[in-house]
Amino acid sequence: MRECLSIHIGQAGIQIGDACWELYCLEHGIQPDGVVLNSDQLESANLEHMDTSFNTFFCETRAGKHVPRALFMDLEPAVIDGIRAGRHRSLFHPEQLVSGKEDAANNYARGRYSVGSEIIDLVLERIRKLAEQCSGLQGFLIFRSFGGGTGSGLTSLLMEQLSIEYSRKTKLEFSVYPAPRISTAVVEPYNSVLTTHSTLEHADCTFMVDNEAIYDICHHKLGVERPSYASINRLIGQAVSCITASLRFEGPLNVDLIEFQTNLVPYPRIHFPMTTFAPIISADNAYREELSVSDITAACFDFSNQLVKCDPRLGKYMACCLLYRGDVVPKDVNAAIAAMKSRNSVQFVDWCPTGFKVGINNQPPTVMPGGDLAKVQRAVCMLSNTTAVVEAWARLDHKFDLMYAKRAFLHWYIREGMEEGEFSEAREDLAALEKDYEEMGQSF
Amino acid sequence: MNDTLTSDVIGRRVEVNGEHATVRFSGIVPPVAGLWLGVEWDNPERGKHDGSHEGTVYFKCRHPTGGSFIRPNKVNFGVDFLTAVKNRYVLEDGPEEDGKEQIVIIGNKPVETIGFDSIIKQQSQLSKLQDISLRNCAVNCAGDKGAIAEACPNIRKVDLSRNLLSSWDEVLDIADQLGHLEVLNLSENKLRFPSGSPSRTGTFPALKVLVLNRTGITWAEVLRCASGWPVLEELYLESNDLFISERPADVLQTVKLLDLSSNQLIDENQLFLIAYLPRLEQLILSDIGISTIHFPDAGTGHKTAMFPSLQYLVVNDNQISQWSFINELDKLPSLQALSCIRNPLTEGSKEAQTTRQLIIARIGQLKTLNKCEILPEERRGAELDYRKAFGNEWKKAGGHQDPDKNRPHEQFLEAHPRYQLLCLKYGAPEDGELKLHQPFLLKNQLLTLKIKYPNQVDQKVLEKQLPGAGWPHRGRTGLDEKAACVVSTL
Repeated sequence: MRECLSIHIGQAGIQIGDACWELYCLEHGIQPDGVVLNSDQLESANLEHMDTSFNTFFCETRAGKHVPRALFMDLEPAVIDGIRAGRHRSLFHPEQLVSGKEDAANNYARGRYSVGSEIIDLVLERIRKLAEQCSGLQGFLIFRSFGGGTGSGLTSLLMEQLSIEYSRKTKLEFSVYPAPRISTAVVEPYNSVLTTHSTLEHADCTFMVDNEAIYDICHHKLGVERPSYASINRLIGQAVSCITASLRFEGPLNVDLIEFQTNLVPYPRIHFPMTTFAPIISADNAYREELSVSDITAACFDFSNQLVKCDPRLGKYMACCLLYRGDVVPKDVNAAIAAMKSRNSVQFVDWCPTGFKVGINNQPPTVMPGGDLAKVQRAVCMLSNTTAVVEAWARLDHKFDLMYAKRAFLHWYIREGMEEGEFSEAREDLAALEKDYEEMGQSF
Repeated sequence: MNDTLTSDVIGRRVEVNGEHATVRFSGIVPPVAGLWLGVEWDNPERGKHDGSHEGTVYFKCRHPTGGSFIRPNKVNFGVDFLTAVKNRYVLEDGPEEDGKEQIVIIGNKPVETIGFDSIIKQQSQLSKLQDISLRNCAVNCAGDKGAIAEACPNIRKVDLSRNLLSSWDEVLDIADQLGHLEVLNLSENKLRFPSGSPSRTGTFPALKVLVLNRTGITWAEVLRCASGWPVLEELYLESNDLFISERPADVLQTVKLLDLSSNQLIDENQLFLIAYLPRLEQLILSDIGISTIHFPDAGTGHKTAMFPSLQYLVVNDNQISQWSFINELDKLPSLQALSCIRNPLTEGSKEAQTTRQLIIARIGQLKTLNKCEILPEERRGAELDYRKAFGNEWKKAGGHQDPDKNRPHEQFLEAHPRYQLLCLKYGAPEDGELKLHQPFLLKNQLLTLKIKYPNQVDQKVLEKQLPGAGWPHRGRTGLDEKAACVVSTL
C-alpha cells in the first residue's frame, strides 16, 4: 500500500486542498461525511468501485468511514475555521486541522522563525500520527503559496524538518506563484525568493501554478467576470486531480511519487515542470465545442492553457509527460501524437534520452456541480520540464531586486530576527538557478 | 456495393474525404457511362452545381454550388453501430503491419506510450463499456437486431455526433437496445424525422441528457419525438434555425435545462410558448439576436407567472442595449443567476464595474452575476449607489422624502421599478446626498477678493481671485501687501 500524505499550508494551501478533496470525494464516491456510496448508489453515480487504489489517499476507519490522509495547517484560525464549519467538516478528524492564534502577516520571517517555530512541533507530531497509519508511506504532497507568510515561512521550516525525519520519502509540491493582479501583499517577491531558496534542496518536484495565468483562463475561457479564489481554486483542483489520478486509480504512468521524479527531473535543482491542462470549457458552452483527443492534445501547446506564464517555444524540453484521462483510446492518442510531429517548435535538449511519455487513465474527469467548468468525456494534463520556465523566475527576481535595491520593507523581516545576509544569499541562489536553467538549454 | 442499385440509397448520409453529404440521386448521367450518385453537400460551397447537368435537372439543391456527381465507389456509406464500437475500442490484430511498434519521433526524441496494452485489453471488454464516444465514426445504422443489446448493454453515455445517421428511426433502433442510456449526443447528424404521428414512439426510459445541436431539427419535430423522453432533464438545441411554433403540451415537462443558443429566428414572443415548463431551471439564450423582453402579465414591480422555476438565465452575445431588459428580469420569481456578457449594454465605454453595479441594483433577488457571487456588501453598495445616482431624477419626477407627497410619475417608475423599494429599504435619499458636488478643481475653490488701496484714492478697486485657505501662492500675487488691504471677499 503506497500511501501519500497531503499537507496543506496557509490560506492558499488550505483552500486549494478544500477544492481537491471535494473533487476526490466526487471521483471516488465518498460522501461529505466520509462514507462510501453503497453499490446501488454507485451504479447510478457511474463509478466502479472494484478499484481500491484510492486508499493511497484515504484511510478507512473501523466504522467504515474514509478519512483523507491530509493535514491542514495555518498560523491563524479564520481559514481553518472555514473547513471546521464547512460542508466537509465531518470528513476530517479534528486533529487534522491545526491552527495557531497569531498569523504570519505576509511575512516569511514570522512564518519561519518567530510564530512558525511555536507550532512546528505540534505539526510534526500530527504528521507522525498520520504516518503511523500508513503501511508503506511513499511521500508527501505539499500545497502552499510562495507569497504568503505561512505558505513561504512555515513551509520552509516544515520541509527542512521533513527531510530530517523522513529522509527517504518523496516530497512533491504544488506551489502558487504570486500574481500582481490578485495579490494582497507587496512583499510577495521577498517571500517567494526566500522560500524558494530554503526549500530548493528539500523538494523533489514542484508544480508551479501561476495565479495570473489561472485568472486569465477563468476570465477569458470560462466567462467569469472577476474570478474569485473559489473559481481559481476549482480549476487548480482539476489540474491536481489529473496529476494525481494515477496515484488514486489503477493506471500505468506515474503511479508512484518516485516515478514523477524519475520521469520529469533530470537534476535535483531543475525540478519545476510546467503544467498545461485541457480542455477548459465553460459550463454554459457544454456540448458546443470539439473535444477530440487531437483537439485537447493540440490545446496543450496553446499558451492560454498553461498554468504558468512562459513561452515554451523559446526554451527546450528536458522531459514531458502527457496524462490522458477519460474516454481515450490508444488509436486516437497515436494519431494525435503523429499530428504533433509537425510542430517543429518542440525542441528537446541534446543530452536527454527520453522524449514524451504518454499514459491513459480511463477514469473520466469529474467537475463540481454548479461550478464553472463543463463536464467533459476526456481531459489531458501535460507536465513539461522546459527551460522556458526560467522566465517566471526572472520576473520574480526582478521584482525582488527593485525592492531590495532600496531595502524597502526590509525592517519587517529584520525585526523578526532575520538578517540582510539571508536575503542576499537567497537572491544569489535564485540567480544560480537561473543560470542552471540556461546551461540546461545549451547544446554541446 | 449492392445497395447502390436500390432506390433506398436516396436520402442516405455519406462521407467523402471528411465531408458529409446526402444522396439525392442515383443513376445514369449521359453522356458519361456508368452509375453516378448525385449528392448534396452539407457545406454549400463544396459542390460544382445545383443538381442539374447540361440542362437536365437530376436533383435539387438549396445552393447553386451545393451538389456534385460522384462515383459510388468513392463514397463511404458508413458502418453499423457495433462495427464502429469495435473499430474504436478493440484492437483486433497486433499493433502495426510489420509486427514492430511504430515509434513516433517528436523533436528528435521517441515518444514512449506506457501501458497501452492493458488499456486496450480493458477497453476490449465491450460489455463493460459505459461511457463511449463514436464521434465521426461513420455510424449509419444500428446493424443486426439485438446485436448491440448483446454486446454492450451497459452503455450509459454515447456520443454519436457527426455520424451518418439519416433518420430518427435509425436512432430508435440503436436506443431500443440500450436500456440504460442516460446521455445521447446526436449533434451534426442531419436526421429525417417521421412526419405526422410517429409510426414508432420509441421510448428512452432513462434518457436524461439529449444533445441535438446542428441537426436541422424543427420545433414541431422536437415535440413529436418528445413523448419518448419521459425523464429528460437537459435538452440542447443549439444552431438549428429553430422557430418555436407551439407550446409543449404534455411533453418536456421534466426538462430542467434548455439550450436554445444561436437560433437567430427566436424572438421574445416565441419565448412565451416555453414559459410554462414547470421544471425549467436553466435557460441558455446566447447569440439569438434578442434585444427586448417583456412579461405582459406583470405590472411594474410585480412578479410574472412565466418561467416559474427559472434560476439561471444566460443571454450572452445578444443585442441587449436597453436597461428595460434588465428591469424586466426582476419580474422573474426564481431568478438567482444571470450571465449577460458581450451585449451592447455591457460593452462600450462605460466602466464594467458601473454596469455590474447597475444590474445588481435592478434585479433584487440576483445572487450570481456573470459567474461571480454577489456578496451582501456588494449588493448593499450597488443599491445605495443606484439610489443616489437617480435621486435627482426621482425628485424631478415627483419623488419626495415625505411619503404623503411622494408621487413619482409612471414614466420614472417604469424606468426604475425598484426605486421605491430601495427607498423603503434604505430610506429616501437626503437632499445633502443628492447635491451635485463640483469636482475638486482649484478654480472652484478660489475666493474673489476686492482690494482697495486706501492711501491712493484714485486707484481702482482691484478684483483678484485667490485660493482660499492655505494661500499657497503667498508673495506671488504681485501686490504690495503693506499698501493694500482687503475690502471685501465675494
